[in-house]
Amino acid sequence: MSLKEGAALDKLITNNPLAAKDFADRCAVEYADVSLRDILVRVRDYVHKGHKLLTHPLSGSIKPGETPYKSILVSAAPGQGLDLPSLRIIEDSIVTCDKFPIKYPHIPEHVLADFQEVDRTLIAGALYKHSSSK
Amino acid sequence: MKLEVGYIDITDIQFSDKASLQDGVLYVDRDAITAMILEDERIRAVELDIAKPGESVRITPVKDVIEPRVKVEGPGEIFPGVLSKVQTVGSGRTHVLRGAAVVTTGKIVGFQEGIIDMTGLGAEYTPFSKTFNLVANFTPVDGLTAHDYENALRLAGLKMAKALGELGREVEPNEVKTYEHLPVMQGAEKYPELPRVGYVQMLQSQGLMHDTYVYGVDMKQSLTTMISPTEVLDGAIISGNCVSACDKNTTYHHLNNPVIHDLFEAHGKTLNFAAMIITNENVYLADKERSSDWTAKLVEYLDLDGVIISQEGFGNPDTDLIMNCKKIEAVGTRTVIITDEYAGRDGTSQSLADADASADAVVTGGNANQVVVLPKLDKVIGTLDYVDKIAGGFENNLQEDGSIVVELQAITGATNELGFNRLSAR
Repeated sequence: MSLKEGAALDKLITNNPLAAKDFADRCAVEYADVSLRDILVRVRDYVHKGHKLLTHPLSGSIKPGETPYKSILVSAAPGQGLDLPSLRIIEDSIVTCDKFPIKYPHIPEHVLADFQEVDRTLIAGALYKHSSSK
Repeated sequence: MKLEVGYIDITDIQFSDKASLQDGVLYVDRDAITAMILEDERIRAVELDIAKPGESVRITPVKDVIEPRVKVEGPGEIFPGVLSKVQTVGSGRTHVLRGAAVVTTGKIVGFQEGIIDMTGLGAEYTPFSKTFNLVANFTPVDGLTAHDYENALRLAGLKMAKALGELGREVEPNEVKTYEHLPVMQGAEKYPELPRVGYVQMLQSQGLMHDTYVYGVDMKQSLTTMISPTEVLDGAIISGNCVSACDKNTTYHHLNNPVIHDLFEAHGKTLNFAAMIITNENVYLADKERSSDWTAKLVEYLDLDGVIISQEGFGNPDTDLIMNCKKIEAVGTRTVIITDEYAGRDGTSQSLADADASADAVVTGGNANQVVVLPKLDKVIGTLDYVDKIAGGFENNLQEDGSIVVELQAITGATNELGFNRLSAR
């Protein structure tokens, strides 16, 4: 993650409004109010275009189907061709996601806020640690 | 490094006006413990309770379980770098209140983790149904952030365990065991005919309620490194993680790591327990690559013949696990991995989120998706408000007769990936 002026920022693909707000100055945020699975699919689309996966799509221990939120970092620019390790990880993550049914169709607001906070900290741990290196 | 561990068997726990440990009975001064906890201004209130094996008691949501220990001789104190100054532990003598535990609960977030049932079917799946538990339920001051609450609760649990452990300082233990970890060259010279076996412990390190601390250092900030297994027995590694309770290592698990214990048992007989390596499980893929590279480098550097790798948690750590396994196999060292499975409720789905042909020796802690029905119990310590929002709970899973339907992942320690659990295919 580079903060150098003029340097392209890595992309944060997220459906978490808290992460979208908090990391707006550190990433190129692409926020969409979609399902967790749809975020994984959007990330796969980027991987198909040649972007590299930077954070693990199954970050954290709250399962797909439990938390509705997911934030994933991908590289700013497409590389030379398809990054196969990235593709394998995102494909395996989608397979894993599909194993978990949606457990809580009705989540109270304060619990949603907690899920957002945990998802935010998972990315924060990655971002702040890497503020000066690739 | 040589550590004598004196085990004092605890046969009962009671509240009393005066704290003491007599004839195996642990007497807890409730007021003194309460006052100690409330010294932390972040905690508004604490309720202390006792839960004994066989009682009709459910504890939830569990945050950590900690075994009371005290350093009797030798440098440092228990939980170095956290409760005491940073000083290398793992030598001298330590007393353990075997059979006692501190259990912490509290509502850090609105979805919650961890059930310990002291009786019934649930008790079969958690090791902490067999311990005499001092349970603390914490309420924070208004407006405290989740991070500060987690930190306050974690420290309070450790302080309680230390205070109870102190009662065993002068008590003659029921059993004394000696654990000795030799310097690399000495070990090789002493056991030239035995295979050199190492232990790679992966530590969860990702964020709020997903962290582990080593001598107080947040493990996500560390490179892969080495530690003496005797240091772990003195509390060098503590748990700050409780999400997905079935396969998270509580501090109790670290203190009683069965991989370490079994390797020590076999040491000098069938193998030479040559080294212990600790590595992290970060969110960043570059970290995963770097840490697993480093693990393989250390294994090669130490010239190990075989390695046991234990995982912690679900999902992305599967990737760390496979990277570690693959890279260590690639330097010519055979591996056995310990994991658990999310194989669906019928057990037929792919168990891990990653795989490789080199992972050909696998020990599993069980299928965390397995569904169990836990009976209604007479007393709840903590709250059932969150039972349908714990990992493994379902919406409306609290049934009319008071029983609850959960996956094993809701039960503290049920599919532990150190093998500290009761599930078996035998």
